[in-house]
Amino acid sequence: MTALVSHLKLLEAESIHIFREAAAQFRAPVLLYSIGKDSTVLLHLARKAFWPAKPPFPLLHIDTTWKFHDMIAFRDKTVREFGLDLIVHTNHDGLARGINPFDNPPSVYTDIMKTQALRAALDAGGFDAAFGGARRDEEASRAKERVFSFRAAGHRWEPRRQRPEMWTLLNGRLGKGETVRVFPLSNWTEGDVWRYIALEKLDVVPLYFAAPRPVVSRDGQLIMVDDERMKLLPGETPETRTIRFRTLGCWPLTAAVESEARDLDAVIAEVLSAKNSERAGRLIDHDQAAAMEMKKREGYF
Amino acid sequence: MLVATLREEIIAPLPSPAPAAASGAIVRLLTCGSVDDGKSTLIGRMLWDATSIAEDQRAAIIHASQNRLQNGDKVDFSLLLDGLQAEREQGITIDIAWRYFETMRRRFVVIDAPGHEQYTRNMATGASHADVAILLVDARHGVKRQTRRHAAICHLVGIRNVVLAVNKMDLIGYSEAAFRAIEAEFRKLAQSFNFARIVAIPVAALPGDNVVRRSSAMSWYGGPTLLDHLETLDVSTERRDAPFRMPVQLVLRHGDFRGYAGTIASGRVRQGERIVDARSGLGATVRRITTMDGDLTFAHKGDAVVIELDTDLDISRGAVLSDVQRRPINADVLEARLVWLAEAPFDPEAGYLLRTATDLTPVTSISVSALVDFETLASTPAHACAANDIADCRILLGRPTPLDLFADLAATGNFILVSAVDGTTVAGGVIGWAQAGAATVADNVFVLDRELLAKGLCSDLGGTPADLAEFHRRGQEAAILLRSAGIPVLIEI
Repeated sequence: MTALVSHLKLLEAESIHIFREAAAQFRAPVLLYSIGKDSTVLLHLARKAFWPAKPPFPLLHIDTTWKFHDMIAFRDKTVREFGLDLIVHTNHDGLARGINPFDNPPSVYTDIMKTQALRAALDAGGFDAAFGGARRDEEASRAKERVFSFRAAGHRWEPRRQRPEMWTLLNGRLGKGETVRVFPLSNWTEGDVWRYIALEKLDVVPLYFAAPRPVVSRDGQLIMVDDERMKLLPGETPETRTIRFRTLGCWPLTAAVESEARDLDAVIAEVLSAKNSERAGRLIDHDQAAAMEMKKREGYF
Repeated sequence: MLVATLREEIIAPLPSPAPAAASGAIVRLLTCGSVDDGKSTLIGRMLWDATSIAEDQRAAIIHASQNRLQNGDKVDFSLLLDGLQAEREQGITIDIAWRYFETMRRRFVVIDAPGHEQYTRNMATGASHADVAILLVDARHGVKRQTRRHAAICHLVGIRNVVLAVNKMDLIGYSEAAFRAIEAEFRKLAQSFNFARIVAIPVAALPGDNVVRRSSAMSWYGGPTLLDHLETLDVSTERRDAPFRMPVQLVLRHGDFRGYAGTIASGRVRQGERIVDARSGLGATVRRITTMDGDLTFAHKGDAVVIELDTDLDISRGAVLSDVQRRPINADVLEARLVWLAEAPFDPEAGYLLRTATDLTPVTSISVSALVDFETLASTPAHACAANDIADCRILLGRPTPLDLFADLAATGNFILVSAVDGTTVAGGVIGWAQAGAATVADNVFVLDRELLAKGLCSDLGGTPADLAEFHRRGQEAAILLRSAGIPVLIEI
């Protein structure tokens, strides 16, 4: 009998299969570890895929120096706990030029400190495959992404050159200059990620849970003050509100939401009920451009 | 309520090794039909009626449908599936869009692939992932040539469950006679396809008849609504006594531990059971079935596990662990039906590789014998094939590889063809016939054996596992080069 397993276990088995296929077919894979909930699930699945051995690849974190302090602490704790190899890469040239998320437009900042940094780190490591936590349900433009997403020389994604994927057969034979992004969580949804975290009792960065934190309200968005580098605008004074984060990135660019969800159960309840609302805006029409812009800003995928 | 159900699922202890209830499974739906048939509207209507869409989102969709509503029309349910159209407009060659939703009873994945003839390859690719196909026809027009082609593609890639959704019943006065005529015509054409289950449902997507709500206008229909059917459908296609297969993905070593990692492709395996390596015929006993969550007594189809054996069989990726009695065929010649995926047409002189579950085998030669017209189901003798063609062909392999017939075991009976030059996937196929030792070594076939390689090309390699893997890799690459130079080659290493 097929299919008669809880759907999270089916997703888990599929992801493990993908991890193993990539590890077997590529010469030098690396796992893009960005510390958030998706990375947490990704790393857990990687550990399962190769157990009792350790994952046969290092983790790579692109540190813009603007990650929340809680994130860096969580990253270091995780790496220690599981005895993993972690490569931390920062674009020091960008840093020296004073590129930061307050004085530069988000697109410029993200391109230099994240996208360029990622490319440089992949090239420096000679990696031919990079695991990422991207999911097809994230937005419309990702709904057609492959599990093995091919990049031409220079890491360019060319939609027309993507390979058809039939059944569960994954073809990782690289052409000249090509590299691959591998997405083991392709068929997971945001809800699945949280339910799996609960099921497997995984630790996540505490910022996902509501707590009183210092914030300023700017253009209708709640920006948390993570350290003294926060540049307050005239008239702004940080106030304490009970907030949490749905996604985690660079701190002044990632807005918080007011929430009372202080534990996993509450977060799951909030995500599963809020998700549809969140999508409503973009499902209908106007947000398409914004979603694309966000994707570009994210740069990674 | 939805949240409460999901929480239950989390709290419930995970079944191991016995499978859980069907309610937790994932069902992958392929929707087939042209835009005019109301494909997006049908799925949109189902989401609207059956999933927890927030009130503000409903309001937004109603707002976006303002113009239609003023014309006395209904809400535009297809808006719930937007994005698919836009993606198509980007001109992506093989564009399948994936959508995810869940109802109280089941998790669904909607695979949306274009249905026009010039997109046969896209549809075949999408269909290869589906458990069930919804074939949509417009009640006013009935079964079209295209319907037959869609059914044939679904059959080709192994879909066993088909739903014939006869849409727009409201536009023909909910006529039972018209529906029955369409159903009968479809059942007749489907006879050649051996589907396990065909269910015909009269629906009207826009007003929502028989999509989620039972229609009051069609009291003559006693069958399930579309959602009822999808939520309760048994999508398992495997025979109860299917033989065990596990293609080995990689060998995991950790201290003294040496295990074979893979996903069970069919059947099940038990700790303590005898199994064989299909290629060598060597047997061993399963010492442990391990996962990070602990050892298992049994593992079933779909489980990703690591198997430790009591004896070292010296096997690597590409091996297939198998039932002792019912083994795969160690074939070096096979006949297959394939869909050509690449822009570049089939080139009998080019180098190709055959990718089965986990093995990659150099192809000695491919000869196309016929092209199949999927709208008439007629086959015409041919020697060439190109993008979107469905072709029957005979493939000679450079070395034997363990495989099954697709009709018996789908997961070890399918393959893709890979270009040896640029690595692209050029075709996907299903095996109809295969034989071992049929490709006898003719005078003009060059035999690349271990001795020959060890003398020169691989003289720097020793006996470590890494060196042996490199030995095989070089042998394979040398065979590909010879093959692309027009020299028929057989590897014996």
